Amino acid sequence: MFGKRIDYAGAVGFIVFMAALPLVFGGNYLIGVLTVSVIYGIWAVSWDFMSGLTGRENFGHSLFIGVGAYTAGFLNTAFGFGGWWSLPAAMVMAMLFAVIIGLPTLRLKGPYFALAMLSGAVIMQRLMLIFWEQTGGEEGINGIEPLIRSQLGFYYFALAALVLVTALLLALARSHWGLILRAIRGDEATCQAAGINVTFYKIASLVISAAFAGAGGAIYAHYQLQVSPQLFAVVTSITIITMVYVGGMASIYGPVGGAILLVLLTELLREFGEWRLMIYSCTLILILFFVPHGLIAPTWRRFRSKLRRAQ
Amino acid sequence: MSALLEVSALNKHFGGLHAVKDVSFSMAAAEIVGILGPNGAGKTTLYNLLTGFIPADSGSIVFNGRTLRGLAPYRIAGLGISRTFQLCRPFVGMTVLENVIVGGLGAQAGERGDLEARALALLEKVGLSGKEQLLVELLSYGDQRRLEIARALAARPALLLLDEPFAGLGSGEITDLSALIRSVHAEQGLTVMLIEHKLHEFMRLVGRVIALDFGEIIAEGSPEEIVRHPKVIEAYIGRGDEQAEEQADAA
Ligand SMILES: Nc1ncnc2c1ncn2[C@@H]1O[C@H](COP(=O)(O)OP(=O)(O)OP(=O)(O)O)[C@@H](O)[C@H]1O
Ligand SMILES: [Mg+2]
Repeated sequence: MFGKRIDYAGAVGFIVFMAALPLVFGGNYLIGVLTVSVIYGIWAVSWDFMSGLTGRENFGHSLFIGVGAYTAGFLNTAFGFGGWWSLPAAMVMAMLFAVIIGLPTLRLKGPYFALAMLSGAVIMQRLMLIFWEQTGGEEGINGIEPLIRSQLGFYYFALAALVLVTALLLALARSHWGLILRAIRGDEATCQAAGINVTFYKIASLVISAAFAGAGGAIYAHYQLQVSPQLFAVVTSITIITMVYVGGMASIYGPVGGAILLVLLTELLREFGEWRLMIYSCTLILILFFVPHGLIAPTWRRFRSKLRRAQ
Repeated sequence: MSALLEVSALNKHFGGLHAVKDVSFSMAAAEIVGILGPNGAGKTTLYNLLTGFIPADSGSIVFNGRTLRGLAPYRIAGLGISRTFQLCRPFVGMTVLENVIVGGLGAQAGERGDLEARALALLEKVGLSGKEQLLVELLSYGDQRRLEIARALAARPALLLLDEPFAGLGSGEITDLSALIRSVHAEQGLTVMLIEHKLHEFMRLVGRVIALDFGEIIAEGSPEEIVRHPKVIEAYIGRGDEQAEEQADAA
C-alpha cells in the first residue's frame, strides 16, 4: 500500500539523517547530545507503549530507568559483567519491578497505579542514599566500563537500539495487542464484556515498557560510565511525559521526534543561561496550547495524506 | 430440553436494599426471553450478576453445565455470554470497524478466524456499512446501539443479553433492530434475553416473559399471560407508571 511505503520511506529517511548528522558536522559535543537524545527516545517510546495506548499514566518511569542503570552499573563494577550481560540483566530487573508495582495497582481503578509508580521512584532514590555503603550514596557507582570505546560507535549502537525498540513496539501497537490496549483506554468494562483479560494486558504492557526503559537505563549507565540517585528523579519522568505529548501520544514513533526535539532545544538554549528554563517552559506551553495532539505525529499524518492525495 | 442457563435463589443486597431477591429461573437453548419490570426493579443488576460484573451474595448460576459464580467477567464472556449495556459503552477513540474487531478478540488467537471479514459482515448485517472507518463517537445514538449489538455478536456468543436495546430509538429503528434480533436468532439459534420497556415490539419478539418487581420475580409466562397478570398490572398501573398506557396498548 502507498501509505505504508511512505511510512517506510520516512523511517529510512530519519535513520539516514540521524546517522549522517555526526559525519557531516562532526565533533564529540554533537555526538554526545545526539546520544543522549536517542536514549531519551527509547524512554519516551517505552512510556508511550503502555501509558499512551492504555491511558494509564505512569508518573515514575524513572524507576525503571534507575533500576536498569543501577543493575548494569552494579553487575559491571562488582562482578565484572560485560555490557552484553548487564543489559539483559537490567531488563529483567526492571520487568520484576513492573510486576511488583503493576500486579496490585493495575487491577484497581483510580490513581493507585500512577501514585505507586511516582512513590516507587521517590523511594528508590531515597534507598540509594540510605544504603550508601552498597550503592555509593550521592556519588553513585563510578568506573563503569563503556560498551563501545569509540564515541561514534556508541552513538550508532544507541541509535540502532532506538530503531529496534521503536520498530518492535510499533509492530506490537499495530497488531491485535495494540488494538486491545486502545480498547482498554476506550472502556474497560466493555473489554471485559468482550472476554478480554484487561488486567493481564495492562500488566504485560507495563512489563514490556519497563524492559525497554531498563535497557535504556543500562545503555545510559554504560555511556555516562557512572550512575547516581539522580536517575530516579521525578523530573526525568516528567521530561519523558512532555516528550511524548510533544511527539504525539499513542503514536509510538512521535515520541522519538519529541525526545530528539526537546533534547536539542535544551542544548540550543544553553547560551541563554539563567533564562533557559523559562524559555524552555514557555516554548513547551505554547506547543501544547497550539497543538494539543502534539507536533510530530500529527504533522507526519498530514504530510502523508497530502502525498497520498497528490499521487 | 436441558437448560442452557439455570439460575437459582440468586440474591444481591446493596446496603439495606435487596436489589435481587431469591431469583430462580431457567432458559433453554434458542429461546428469546424478556425481562420486564418498572424502573429500579433490579433488571440491570440481574445482568450484572449473570455476567460477573457484580458478585452475588448467594445463589447459583449454571451455564452450559458450568457454574459461573465467582468467575471474572472476562471468563464468563469467554464461556459464551455476551452483553450490551443500558447506556452505550463503545471503545471511544477507535473506528466503528475496530470496535467490532475488538469484540472478537476475547477468543484464543487460534479460534478467532478472520476477524476483519467477520466484523465487516456483522456491520453490514446491523446496517452500518459505509461507516466502518468513522470514529465511533461520531455515530448517531441509534447507530451506536446497532454497533453495540454487532460488537457483542463478534464474540460468537451462545447467549446474548440485551439491556434496553430499543431505548432512545424511533419506531422505524425499533422495527429494524427487532428484525435483526429475530434474524440472528433464527439463523444461528442464538439464545437471547432482553430487557425492555417498549412493550409493543418486545411482546412480539419474546417467547416468554419474566416480570420483576422490587428484585423479585412476580410472574412468568407467555406475553399474553403476563399482560393480564394481576401482579404485573398492579406493578405498573397500580403505581401510575408512564409505561401503563403502553402496557394497555400491548394487551
Ligand atoms: N452498584 C450499585 N450500588 C448500589 N445500588 C445499586 C447499584 N446498582 C443498582 N443499584 C440499585 O439497585 C436497584 C435496582 O437497580 P437496577 O439498575 O438493577 O434497576 P433496573 O431494573 O435496571 O432499572 P431501570 O429500568 O431504571 O434500568 C436500584 O434501586 C438501584 O439504585
Ligand atoms: Mg437497568
